Amino acid sequence: MLLALELESEVEASGHQVIGVASDFAEAVKLVDDAMPEFAFVDIQLRDGPTGIDIGRHLASKGIPFIFVSGNLKRIPHDFVGAVGAIEKPYTVNGLQNALSYVHELLAGAGSPVPPPSLIVLNTTAPAEHESGAERNSVAAG
Amino acid sequence: MSEDKVSDARDAGDRLVASHPSEDPFAAAFKATRMPMLITDPRQDDNPIIFSNRAFTELTGYSQQELIGRNCRILQGPATDKAAIAMIRDAVQHQHDVAVDILNYRKDGSTFWNALFVSPVRDRDGTVIYFFASQLDFTNIKSKQAELAKARHEAEQEVARRTAELSDALSVKTELVHEVDHRVKNNLLTIASIIKLQMRMTADHTVERTLKSVLDRVEALSTVQRKLLNDERLGHFDVADFGHDLVTDIVGSLKRPDIVLTTDLRPVTVSASKASPLALIINELLGDAVRRGLSDGGGEIHLEIRRLNGHFLIRVVDTVTPVEGDNEQSAFSQAMLDASLRQLRATIERSIQGHRTEVSVTLPVED
Repeated sequence: MLLALELESEVEASGHQVIGVASDFAEAVKLVDDAMPEFAFVDIQLRDGPTGIDIGRHLASKGIPFIFVSGNLKRIPHDFVGAVGAIEKPYTVNGLQNALSYVHELLAGAGSPVPPPSLIVLNTTAPAEHESGAERNSVAAG
Repeated sequence: MSEDKVSDARDAGDRLVASHPSEDPFAAAFKATRMPMLITDPRQDDNPIIFSNRAFTELTGYSQQELIGRNCRILQGPATDKAAIAMIRDAVQHQHDVAVDILNYRKDGSTFWNALFVSPVRDRDGTVIYFFASQLDFTNIKSKQAELAKARHEAEQEVARRTAELSDALSVKTELVHEVDHRVKNNLLTIASIIKLQMRMTADHTVERTLKSVLDRVEALSTVQRKLLNDERLGHFDVADFGHDLVTDIVGSLKRPDIVLTTDLRPVTVSASKASPLALIINELLGDAVRRGLSDGGGEIHLEIRRLNGHFLIRVVDTVTPVEGDNEQSAFSQAMLDASLRQLRATIERSIQGHRTEVSVTLPVED
């Protein structure tokens, strides 16, 4: 929870509003369905096991962009199940900030930004089509 | 078996012998040869044996008296190959030669491998009047073959078993390494989170700056840990790859469009044990440039990592407008740098020309 707490404050520090933190699959799905966030961070290993992947699929089915946060990127399926990218733990303050800037630019439709080294993206896919406008709400699962 | 039949077979044998004078060298040879042989009469019912030699008796344990009038199937038993029997039957029926390896039984029930040769004997008109059979006991050869096959089979099984054991052991070990790696990563991120939490809670600017300085070094080590297991070459560390990520992340997070970053990075792989001090060296060199003015007024920064004359070179060149530095921070950075350099037995050269600072670190590469 300490990690999620810090992620929350770092996301807020860069100008976003965090609508909630979920620690397992059921909580995450409820949070997503109730609050419809504009963006999500999804850890793969949660309290109930490696359920982050399925949370990712759920987000993708709702058209909500998200990135995975994981200590083991090999766990992520090859197609990334629709994730914008993945941040490998242990990430750094700089790495997280750069990833956030990239996501912000990408979702704002501001051209095609270059992903920072801290964000692993599925190679050479066009940015997901998305309504322009800065995302204000985020959800962190972890 | 009727007494008549036996007597018929014996008569046929007698006639055969009688047709040759007793000094007939062929008959003498037949009797004396070490090769087991017998003769059957196909014109009698069930093609009985009418003659057999001493070698045949020695091989099978049956006396000549016991054999006369019997069919050769007396030598067959439960483990005799049916296909081999069929081959012999077919040759007799169609009156041609046959050579076949067959498992036969002695009188006492023991078995031997018999290289059997059967051929028809014809009279002047071409009528088959006898079948001649010679036997060769090749049990020794056969059992050696079987031993070899068994030994090979056992060796193969042993290899398969050992291979399975080793691959199990390897997968357990790999799992363990990944588990430990995962814990180290989580711990590093937890340490960073603790420092960040305290940074947010303090109102004291000096405390915050000190914690930030500690966090910066912890994060350099975090990046090392992230890079260590990324490829399959366990226990190796690509310094250039690390340098690229570090400098890109530092410069990116400064969010200054007036910084020109250039790099010349060639893959240089070192053992994992050198990863941390190397990472700290690169981190201090870049951090020093940032503190001296890069984060304030922008400028140029160049990172070079490559091999040079059997050595390994890290070079950082920056052109910045100098700002007033924090002496304590600079001293701390210098101490970190010195300790890491000493650990790697690396040498450092620093040259300053106006606003341009060039630092080269050279260290021996193990091969």
